[in-house]
Amino acid sequence: MAIVRAEGFSFWYPLDSEGARGDAGAGGSADGRGERMAAAGRVHGEKMTALGGQAEVAVADGNVCACVDADTPASTCEPHNALCVLNGVSFALEEGEFCTVAGPSGCGKTTLLRSLKPELAPTGTCAGTVEVLGATLVRDGQRASELDARASAKGIGFVMQDPAAQIVCDTVWHELAFCLENLGMPQEAMRRRVAEVAHFFGIEPWMRARTETLSGGQMQLVNLAAVLAVRPRLLLLDEPCAQLDPHARQQFLLMLARVNRELGVTVMMATHAPEDVENLATRRLDLGDVGHMGTREEALAALRGGERTATAPPTLAGGSAAAGRPAPTGSAPIATEGSTLTASAPAAVGVPAPTGSTPAAAASPRFAAFGALRARSQGAPSPAIEAREVFFRYERSAPWVLRGLDVSVERGRVHAFVGGNGCGKTTLLKVLAGAASPQRGRVRNNLAASQALLPQDPKALLVCDTVDEELAEWQERCGYSRADVQATMERFGLADLGGRCPYDLSGGQQQKLAFAKQLLTGAQLLFLDEPTKGLDPASCAECARTVRELAEEGRTVVMVTHDLNFAAVCADTVSLVFDGELACTEPAAKFFASNLVYRPDDASRLYGALL
Amino acid sequence: MGNAFSAYHPATAFAYLTCALVLAMAAMHPVCVVLSLVGAFACSCVCRSVRASVLSLAWAVPLVALVAAANVAFSATGSTELFRVGARAFYLEALVYGACSGAMLAAVLLWFSSYAACMDSESTLTLFGGVAPVVGLLASQVLRLVPQFVARGRDIQAVADAASAAAPVTKRDQGRGRLRTVSVLMGWGMEDSLVRSDSMRARGFGCGARRTTYRRHRVRRADAALIAVTLALAAVTGVGVWAACGRVSFYPRVEGLGDWWLFVPYVVFLLIPMALKAREWFLWQ
Repeated sequence: MAIVRAEGFSFWYPLDSEGARGDAGAGGSADGRGERMAAAGRVHGEKMTALGGQAEVAVADGNVCACVDADTPASTCEPHNALCVLNGVSFALEEGEFCTVAGPSGCGKTTLLRSLKPELAPTGTCAGTVEVLGATLVRDGQRASELDARASAKGIGFVMQDPAAQIVCDTVWHELAFCLENLGMPQEAMRRRVAEVAHFFGIEPWMRARTETLSGGQMQLVNLAAVLAVRPRLLLLDEPCAQLDPHARQQFLLMLARVNRELGVTVMMATHAPEDVENLATRRLDLGDVGHMGTREEALAALRGGERTATAPPTLAGGSAAAGRPAPTGSAPIATEGSTLTASAPAAVGVPAPTGSTPAAAASPRFAAFGALRARSQGAPSPAIEAREVFFRYERSAPWVLRGLDVSVERGRVHAFVGGNGCGKTTLLKVLAGAASPQRGRVRNNLAASQALLPQDPKALLVCDTVDEELAEWQERCGYSRADVQATMERFGLADLGGRCPYDLSGGQQQKLAFAKQLLTGAQLLFLDEPTKGLDPASCAECARTVRELAEEGRTVVMVTHDLNFAAVCADTVSLVFDGELACTEPAAKFFASNLVYRPDDASRLYGALL
Repeated sequence: MGNAFSAYHPATAFAYLTCALVLAMAAMHPVCVVLSLVGAFACSCVCRSVRASVLSLAWAVPLVALVAAANVAFSATGSTELFRVGARAFYLEALVYGACSGAMLAAVLLWFSSYAACMDSESTLTLFGGVAPVVGLLASQVLRLVPQFVARGRDIQAVADAASAAAPVTKRDQGRGRLRTVSVLMGWGMEDSLVRSDSMRARGFGCGARRTTYRRHRVRRADAALIAVTLALAAVTGVGVWAACGRVSFYPRVEGLGDWWLFVPYVVFLLIPMALKAREWFLWQ
């Protein structure tokens, strides 16, 4: 008997603001509809070869539709003024299966998973039938409450994306026991369950640790363990690895594999990267275009091909006027024409030769300053940032995080810092950005007057009620126009979301919004902390293009990333941070060529998306 | 290095410190107040650390001085004239009374700091978690969220400061900076709370079952003995202190301090934390 069965399951979010706000806040997935999705056309999936070779790809046919004021109602019960996120999804999972749910941001992965757990089911209109653990949740479009809260908590485990936000208690042991306490389990049985699960996950050493002190990967393991202590039959995971670094992701997936194989728990996991678990998954459900694989060479050629023939940075001279773009102060919308510009003299890859100021720029006093700055840099190419002998620690008694680190970031370059967890990458970024000052050593930042920082958590930047207002927050200060905002929104696929509350967006969309907001400032120096965290390959590719175009414009980008594929395609220089120092700094190609462990993949969906 | 009570059930620390607090607050008697202050300081030394206790003298001593001075200034009663400013006389008895009040206040605050060191969230949960599980859980969450809020506030401020390209141009913008930080913090916190409440519901919070607790509340024999000794000594001390306080008077002259043996139980009571610490130290030698 199938443990999960859906037949022709469709779901609509109400579009009147109140309802949409409320439940999308919980679900955060009623977005990403519209042209982008429609353009993706019919969903297609690749055949997957799994371990047993019996994996099959279930494709939710035509799960891309936007039926605002549905003009052609497909079914009789189709509601008006509603947003369709799932359309006729049918599948059945047997006990012990491992199913990945793939698709781009906002294709309804979260909605589908939440619909399988009664307490989290989003509010909206349903059609079709959903059965979980033999109980009917939705029968012919009507919600049936056959699974009560206790049975649901016992039988269905749910792990969400954000590792920290879903932790309830202050200590690890309390977190592991939380669900058992709620279910009123006798103490003896509870202690045994907690002991078992802690042993299985190897979290005994930090049983008494405060949950706040754990790393993201550890937190997510605790979340998984806490859910498994109840011994559920079905485990639902909503992009559990999106916020984790590669090492933590592997650890998590390894544990998940053991849970599935050794404990026989049925797993259903939404992910942007189904290839991570392709040797585990017995089934894949594609809710949209998952993209295709591409090789690194192709991606590099596609991304930097235009540069080899371009000499002038695209912001300069007639280029910007022709593209109808505003003065470079607010040069958020980076025209794609830039990369196809052909000019006479060849230039070194990724090193734009800055030329004089533009006529358009002369009008803007702010730009005049940049012009002068740039002229200066022409004469003596001083590095953008120079740090010498930097020592940093967070407290007097704490160990040094950075010990005598030297680094120099050149202008107009993309400098990526890679390294393991806790090696001091983020701290280094903060020190370079001036958000933390070193106890010893010196940091000279020549572009300090015009910089912006994209924090690790985009929520640290979000303050307004709508996406529109968010992007317009610094309009007066930075002098960009309404058109710039619009163009940026288009570029990042946020155009349909202008009226939405930033907190209703999915994690990846928030990340893009924060990036867009920082881009609009027109800063000459951008610090990016994990810019691709939680992004699907298409958005990741967009991010890579943006970063490359920034560099072509002569702006400097300093980023910290775990995503080596991303670093490989868009960085000029890569530094390996280790033990508070730089182990090496080399041009990207050379850096990755001589590494054994820190290597990008040869083929990935990100590369495919860049083609 | 734990506090003096760390080897025992939290109920022992709770019983002892609550009794000590009540005695400190109830006994307005020069000898009792001095004993209580010294005892509170000593207890703070073994429950927190000597360094922290000495540092807390930095506010305790001025506090006593301030209250004493205020009482001398405002209360013109007594019989022993200290000095005279114009027609206004200042009396020794007023000074003694003020010093006693100040010392009592300082002692109570010191006892509270020991209480905070000995009774962390877990201990409080152990004691009251069984009675009110939801309140216990609430306390656990608050304890987790307060440091998180502070750290996030700092992060938000740092991000805003680092974005020089969007630095505030006008004075008005600058003024709004702090407000903006709070606003970001609130939005972030509310968003997290939505996720957290989902996480709680998904894991059966409020599903109708009566909550149980993971922690064992086992009072061992040593704990019971210690609690019994504490309560017995506190009761005897209480009687003695009550007798002493009945006789004492500050005005017009400080008299009726009582017999020395009335205070013996109090001294023994105050020595308990030191005895525990000494025992622990002795066991490790």
